[in-house]
Amino acid sequence: MAAKDDYIVEMSDIDKSFPAVHAVDGGQFTLRRGEIHSLIGENGAGKSTMMKMLYGLYRPDGGTIKINGKVMEHLTPGISIGEGIGMVHQEFMLVNDLTVLENVILGFEPKKGVIINFEESRARINKYVETYHMDIQPDKRIDQISVGEAQRVEIIKTLYRGANVLILDEPTAVLTPQECTKFFEILQELRNDGKSIVFISHKLNEVMEISDRITVMRTGKYIATVNKEDTNTTELAKMMVGREVFLSIEKEKANIGAPILELKDIWTSGEKELSKIRGVSFDVRAGEIVGIAGVDGNGQSELIEAVAGLRKVEKGQVILDGQDITNDTPFEARKAGLTHIPEDRNLRGLNRALSIEENLVAWRFEEKPFATGINRNKKEIRKFAEDLIEKFDIRPTEPTVITQSLSGGNAQKIVVAREVDADGKLLIASQPSRGVDIGAIESIRKILNAVKKEGKGILLVSADLEEVLALSDRIVVMYEGRIMGIVDSEDATSDNVGLLMLGERLDEKEKEVS
Amino acid sequence: MAEKKNNPYITLLLTLLLSMVVGAIFMLVLGFKPFDAYVQLFKGAFVGKVNLGTTLQKFVPILLTGVGFAVASKVGCFNAGIEGELYLGAITAAWAGHYLPKMPAFLHILVCLVLAMIVGALWAAIPAILKVKWDVNEICVCILSTYVAKFFTSWLCNGPLSAKTGMPQTPAVHENIMLTQIMKPSQANTGLFIAFIVVAAVIWLLYRSTVGYKFLTVGLNSAHADYMGINSKKVVIQGMMLSGALGGIAGTIEVLGVYGYFLDNFSLNIANDGMLSSMIVWNDIRLVPLMAFFVASLKAGALSMERFAGVPRSIVDTITAIFIIFATMETLFHFLYKKKKTKEEKAAMTINAAPAGSEKGGKKDE
Repeated sequence: MAAKDDYIVEMSDIDKSFPAVHAVDGGQFTLRRGEIHSLIGENGAGKSTMMKMLYGLYRPDGGTIKINGKVMEHLTPGISIGEGIGMVHQEFMLVNDLTVLENVILGFEPKKGVIINFEESRARINKYVETYHMDIQPDKRIDQISVGEAQRVEIIKTLYRGANVLILDEPTAVLTPQECTKFFEILQELRNDGKSIVFISHKLNEVMEISDRITVMRTGKYIATVNKEDTNTTELAKMMVGREVFLSIEKEKANIGAPILELKDIWTSGEKELSKIRGVSFDVRAGEIVGIAGVDGNGQSELIEAVAGLRKVEKGQVILDGQDITNDTPFEARKAGLTHIPEDRNLRGLNRALSIEENLVAWRFEEKPFATGINRNKKEIRKFAEDLIEKFDIRPTEPTVITQSLSGGNAQKIVVAREVDADGKLLIASQPSRGVDIGAIESIRKILNAVKKEGKGILLVSADLEEVLALSDRIVVMYEGRIMGIVDSEDATSDNVGLLMLGERLDEKEKEVS
Repeated sequence: MAEKKNNPYITLLLTLLLSMVVGAIFMLVLGFKPFDAYVQLFKGAFVGKVNLGTTLQKFVPILLTGVGFAVASKVGCFNAGIEGELYLGAITAAWAGHYLPKMPAFLHILVCLVLAMIVGALWAAIPAILKVKWDVNEICVCILSTYVAKFFTSWLCNGPLSAKTGMPQTPAVHENIMLTQIMKPSQANTGLFIAFIVVAAVIWLLYRSTVGYKFLTVGLNSAHADYMGINSKKVVIQGMMLSGALGGIAGTIEVLGVYGYFLDNFSLNIANDGMLSSMIVWNDIRLVPLMAFFVASLKAGALSMERFAGVPRSIVDTITAIFIIFATMETLFHFLYKKKKTKEEKAAMTINAAPAGSEKGGKKDE
């Protein structure tokens, strides 16, 4: 096990500024041989920046980085890799059209003359697969494998390059609870084998489960390093945010009214599959939050797009408050009272090249008083934007700031502000807290609950099961385009919902194994 | 994250100086005197009524086609077909100016303009519709349709609309609708003012009206526009049509202000100069007039440089080409800003209370 002062990495007094931000200010980080060390903090706390400096992607403005006891002056990714540092980025760096095997050896191919020695590479890869029980299929193309598997490929890739230190940037964001469990087993085996792991995350439960030590950062500053035994999630959350956080809002008994949204036997096609959604029916009633749980890519996105008029409904009916809005244009759906926080705020939710005010007024820019005829009334728009910025606590408060420069949380608040202010009958909230910091998650959840209390229907989709459980009154579980089950919130646990998320077939398989 | 644009005026000025230096080196190598050449170039473009007038006359169509190109780029289209729209607009104006019955001059000019705009707009709608309906690359369609437009006008002015004077041209338009010359004996005309009004209107439309907001939204992020309830396909077609209409206006001013008739193949790639003027300034409509004026002065001055300093005109094309190369290297003068930037940005940081995610904003989210 880890010897106390056997540090493989020591980073002290690290300082790093970007043009707009002082990203890291006095950063401290040490890593022992054979430990899992979590680095936690909100978005923009500087965790990724710290690790990118260790990996040689950024050069620190000040401070020292020691690897294996040597002071590293001019670190580049090449030198870092040479020193045994490996990084798995949040977005996988894999070539979709190549096979798993080719991806792993890319750039470090064992050669026989000028020919790649595939036998040797296969043997080396199999060694890792066996040692750490990582299932991968070396001959599948990357676009044919699941996200979880792609992640294992990334880890094998770094190991293959001789990494002793693995930096994992938010690795669990894409995994189901069951996949996570398996993933953690792999991490433990890696640790037991003497590898050191840096685990970047903001999911505190996971951090408590897997770490030996935990370092907390907040707004670029080093806060503390603690042993897992000496802390708990509440304390960690407090250190991260700088104050008490209440994510688990007391769920008030829903005051349920008439159905607002009725889906009747919806069929729709996906990008690749002809029938991505196959006969989905359920309803959302006034004053309740219905959560859709499911592993990403099981049709949730397509279903929401079909409801919102962004994807063609091939069969079935979408009824909003008694009005048939099947295959209406997005504009007509909005007029009928549908509001929608889209899952990808950078693609649909925001026009990142435009300012906060332009984004806030985006769906009503042609209405009075924001326009008279075709002339836009900048003053009215400004006033409207300032109101919303204040009401929803968007920062910066300057309406003319381009949204591209905003943090994830504040960018998302713009979308939330616009859609909630639109005052529709139904609010679709798709991944409302993806990639935003804890403070913003807290306020977004509060807002959703307030909307529910006003007697509106909310359809919530989230890849974060904890979020679905925390907010929903009913939970619809989707698997491969079908509804696996609808669970009342009282009966829902991450176990039973998690199993439904994997579909019955997998369910049976697991029983066989155990 | 995309590189931020620094002060565009300074960058353009430095680019200009640098390309002139390189141009000078070329001239030295070829055995000319660069200083004399530049003096003549400058004189030929600005000194004296005729020279300045010629510059202004060349400026107008470059400006209009440049703004036209920039408008299309705002909805995400590369309108390589402005030349064709200019030709069709020109021949429409020539036709309307000759064949329509007599009417008050002002009204007649307006009719010519409007008809040319409609023709230009419809012509530009073809690539746009093909693009949004069937995902056909608009650049290909534009380039090909320009040939069609050129040959079609060529046939018209040699055949059905020929003045039958032995020259490939249409009959002259009514004398009274010719745009007034403002700097005789040069060919500069009141079309200059029409162009200014049109450009001002376009700038207003883009940045102050709901129509322009739709253009910008669709051009920057069409998925967002669709989700917001804007029909992005319709907007793309509208943007291209406006672009084509501007080409039509350029053609009209050439006919009513300079020639008085449609002359076969008269344009000699005016629209290409317009496109370049727009692209060099990153399709920023507010900078296009500056760039168009610069290109026009080069064109106008080149002749006198050749005549009086003996430097071949093609050296100007070389300088223009070098200029384009440098101008497209957006980070060329980046080092100048580095120091200043950190100061500025720090100041900006105090305003943006919580900008901590800005570096990551793009990459981390999702």
